Amino acid sequence: MKKNLLVSSLVALATIATLSGCGGSVAKPNFVIPEGGYDGSEVTISFYHTMSATTLQPTLEKYIKKFNETFPNIHVEHEQIGGYDEVRDQIKEQISIGAQPNLAYCYPDHVALYNKAKAVATLDQFIDDKTVYTTTNAKGEQVEYTFGLTQEQKDDFIEGYYAAGSSYGDGLMYSMPYSKSTEVLYYNKTFFDANNLSVPTTWDEMWELCAAIKEIDPKCTPLGYDSPNNWFITMCEQMGSGYTSATGNHFLFDNQKNRDWVTDLKTQYEKGYFTTQGLLGTYTSSIFVETSEASDVIKSYMSIGSSAGATHQRPAKDAEGNYPFDVGIAPIPQLNVNKPKVISQGPDICIFKNENPQEVCASWLFLKYLTTTVELQAEFGLASGYVPVLKSVSQNPVYKAAVEKANGGENIAALSAKVCMEQANAYYTSPAFVGSSTARDQVGALLEAVVTGSKTVDQAFQDAMDECEYSI
Amino acid sequence: MVDGKQQWKGWVYLLPALILLAIFTFWPIVNTIYMAFANGYSSLGNAGGDAVYEFGIENFKKVIQYKNFLNCLKNTCLLCVITVPVSTLLALLISVALNSIKFLNRTLQTIYFLPYVTNSIAIGMVFAMMFNIVGTYNNPITVGIVNNLIEALGGTAVNWINAGSSYWANMAVMIIYIVWNALPFKILILLGGLQSINKQYYDAAKIDGASRSTILWRITVPLLSPMIAYVVITGFIGGFKEYTSIVGVFGDNMGPAGAKGRLNTIVGFIYDQLSNDWYGRASAAALILFLIIFAVTMVNMYVSKKRVHY
Amino acid sequence: MENELKVEKVQPSKEELDVKRTKQIQKVVKIVVTTFTYVFLVLVAISVLFPFYWMLNSSLKSLAEYKWTKPSFFPHTVIWANYASAYTTANLGDLFIHTLYVGLLSTLLSLVITVLSAFAFARLEFKGKNAMFALLLATMMIPGELFTITNYATVYRFGWQNTFAALILPFLVSVFYIYLLRQNFLQIPNELYLAAKVDGTSDFKYLLKVMIPLALPTLISITILKMMGAWNSYIWPRLVANDDAHQMITNGLRSAFTTTDGQTDIPVQMAAVAIVSAPLFLVFLFLRKYIMKGVSRSGIKG
Repeated sequence: MKKNLLVSSLVALATIATLSGCGGSVAKPNFVIPEGGYDGSEVTISFYHTMSATTLQPTLEKYIKKFNETFPNIHVEHEQIGGYDEVRDQIKEQISIGAQPNLAYCYPDHVALYNKAKAVATLDQFIDDKTVYTTTNAKGEQVEYTFGLTQEQKDDFIEGYYAAGSSYGDGLMYSMPYSKSTEVLYYNKTFFDANNLSVPTTWDEMWELCAAIKEIDPKCTPLGYDSPNNWFITMCEQMGSGYTSATGNHFLFDNQKNRDWVTDLKTQYEKGYFTTQGLLGTYTSSIFVETSEASDVIKSYMSIGSSAGATHQRPAKDAEGNYPFDVGIAPIPQLNVNKPKVISQGPDICIFKNENPQEVCASWLFLKYLTTTVELQAEFGLASGYVPVLKSVSQNPVYKAAVEKANGGENIAALSAKVCMEQANAYYTSPAFVGSSTARDQVGALLEAVVTGSKTVDQAFQDAMDECEYSI
Repeated sequence: MVDGKQQWKGWVYLLPALILLAIFTFWPIVNTIYMAFANGYSSLGNAGGDAVYEFGIENFKKVIQYKNFLNCLKNTCLLCVITVPVSTLLALLISVALNSIKFLNRTLQTIYFLPYVTNSIAIGMVFAMMFNIVGTYNNPITVGIVNNLIEALGGTAVNWINAGSSYWANMAVMIIYIVWNALPFKILILLGGLQSINKQYYDAAKIDGASRSTILWRITVPLLSPMIAYVVITGFIGGFKEYTSIVGVFGDNMGPAGAKGRLNTIVGFIYDQLSNDWYGRASAAALILFLIIFAVTMVNMYVSKKRVHY
Repeated sequence: MENELKVEKVQPSKEELDVKRTKQIQKVVKIVVTTFTYVFLVLVAISVLFPFYWMLNSSLKSLAEYKWTKPSFFPHTVIWANYASAYTTANLGDLFIHTLYVGLLSTLLSLVITVLSAFAFARLEFKGKNAMFALLLATMMIPGELFTITNYATVYRFGWQNTFAALILPFLVSVFYIYLLRQNFLQIPNELYLAAKVDGTSDFKYLLKVMIPLALPTLISITILKMMGAWNSYIWPRLVANDDAHQMITNGLRSAFTTTDGQTDIPVQMAAVAIVSAPLFLVFLFLRKYIMKGVSRSGIKG
């Protein structure tokens, strides 16, 4: 155990050394701000996202109008390109012929992919810029503006979210967090209260609780964990056992600690304690919200899933218009309660290089506006169920009012947001590099292969490593 | 026979097609060959501007060394070898049966062609629903209509596509779906062929007292042989490109939970490589696939030349 | 044959009785065979129809009911509103018009090109014909996925992004259709062609007046295939022309129903799929008569 700690701290030290080494000497921002900043010229910038036309685009458009009060000549053309994978695939093709948009929703592994073509503009030069520029606003008045972020603005970001923008191994910032979610534990509060059960905070408590629930309802599957990928990666973080690294030997997940954990998980699975979306064959929320008393229906009493999907974890109303049970939301169990680790998901936004530096500058002004405007973050968070990326949103009157009304029924989305905001210090980010999305898929696949017994632990880890190595 | 004017005329008639083909088919093929032999070619790396390629067979080596490549090849071949004959035979039986009846003939024809007007991914999801089991390790629950049927008939439910299912259960579902999907086109072609067979052949056979099966195998099939050859050849070409049907049933995982990628095919492998931006490897795999299809088609053509009665 | 018949007539009357019995047996056999045929055909029909029934069934459920672990065969509460919200959320009206435009135009142009090429391959004699035809057939064997990346670059170089040209031109020529039509043309007896030549009819006139009418069923089949191609195309339109003014139906369908957390409202999506499939079904029902009648008529060669 001690030896392991020593090794991992050495690894950590080495990583930091390489990181700072890269940041200090090799990597420099790849964009130079032109003299005078944004010159007020007419530019059209395109923005690819996944916001649905009915629920989220109206909010976006409202704030584009407000943005144009200061910068009337920056025209934002935004477009929904299906889901995240569609955005990635389309931009990938477009980069190969130099036709990429100006801004896009992105996940870190997308940025790593785009950066094979060196297509993403760094943001450091903007963030650190201290110059004060002037421009003419919509009313024809001269107004001052800056590119840079003040220390206050930087500190307002939830650290884990902000850090993800520079998880590429060279210490540079390539993306800004926009709207985020994490995993939370949904539990059947009515059932818990009736049987005097307490919400688990550690994994040991979780498995004890599963045993207890099995005694009460032998046919149930106490826990549904939607994403095996997230589970494996989060456990690597909680155990400090190593998952991937942005530099050097990328794939660190084939180690004894992880093997032991997966082996242990298999015994829990065989006791019928949990299932995943893949193993179950449908969303795990579907068995959590099940209220039928029929003998051949599976039920679960806990569900770990995206904080943005709270409304899906709520049972359907009965004939009288009441929810059959009350849903409670808590942070996911930890290995060490004092050092909590939870995943952060949801899109960042990145800026692409462009022949016209004015388009890049205009894109940054818009991106800065999107990510640092508290009202926008609050309104967007409430409309989407995602967590705002700014801490000060919790002080926003509209947001505050919504969160105060949070409960496990009608206002379940607000309850989920509240739980997320309370664990702002626990977010981790995984390194992003070419092949990181393969690693993510492979660890989930190996988890499912081991617990179902379709592969031995050795075989599953070996196969996953082979696939990862092949992907780079 | 061939005069100068005709020479010139033939190419004029072909001109519009050739221009478009040159731009949108031949050039991409040339480009594909280039990418396949440029070692480690990647489209984004190329766009980044610092790529200088050596030419060789590195991409091909990489593809063949990939340990699941053989698995993809096996799945593709198995699906082809099973579904093409089965769907052809079934389409033949259906067409002959349909051709022999009057009542409901048109209604049934219409019904059989319906799968034609659908999206294979959407209907694949429906098939997945039908074979699905939702359940957990020691607590399985049958929900799919197929298992309900099996249980109603006194059998035990089969785990078709879910976690812990067997390879052959997965294959069975794919075979059923692919055959279902392939039937309309084959029925369309074969029925067209059947209706153009001169009735006199049958009258003569009846007078000779030939049995139904004799008529089928000795008269109908030989007379239909050009159409049969056609559906078999196109069936194989399509079969080796099998991909969307598997996505429809199993999703992007190309296999049940716990056995991801188990049902992957060569085209699936090509897509994987494309989405990881390995265009060189994808091109190499596509050329390998082309060679396989080419060889199989040659064999098909050779056999049909010997067997087909024009 | 006449000889045999004469011989039969000379046979004694006992044989005639046998013939009667045989006829009876044949009648029974015929009934059995017919019954069996119908049972077989109806079973096939049911298995063909089931997925469609399931699509309609799902399209009328609420999302909650759709997620039931034990699916219901009929919606407990029928949600017709799914259809209304499908139509409005996906903006289906515009999508229909774009798709129809692309479908009709590409079908028309494609038919012209296909007819000309198939005629050249079937009836004209010129050097390199067979080699060219073999070359075309060989391209059918190449997985089309690899064309995409190069074609995308080409379309971009021509400045065709977000134009209908980008949606129509790259897929105008189909070797498959040329092959299909050439086979059909080949079945038209040479005598007709030679006779026309003797009469002094030009090739082009012969093509218009004789071959096209005779090959009409194949042309109709091609039309339907091409229209369906436009209806189902997805990957390519998403790349080259996915703006509001050009978006095609499948692309609209895929993007309109995904919520931000990646979950799809499947019942509404199924309703949209049903709406979208309806015109194709109708066209199909209407043209089916044509196809089958035409296919049987065209078989001059037997």
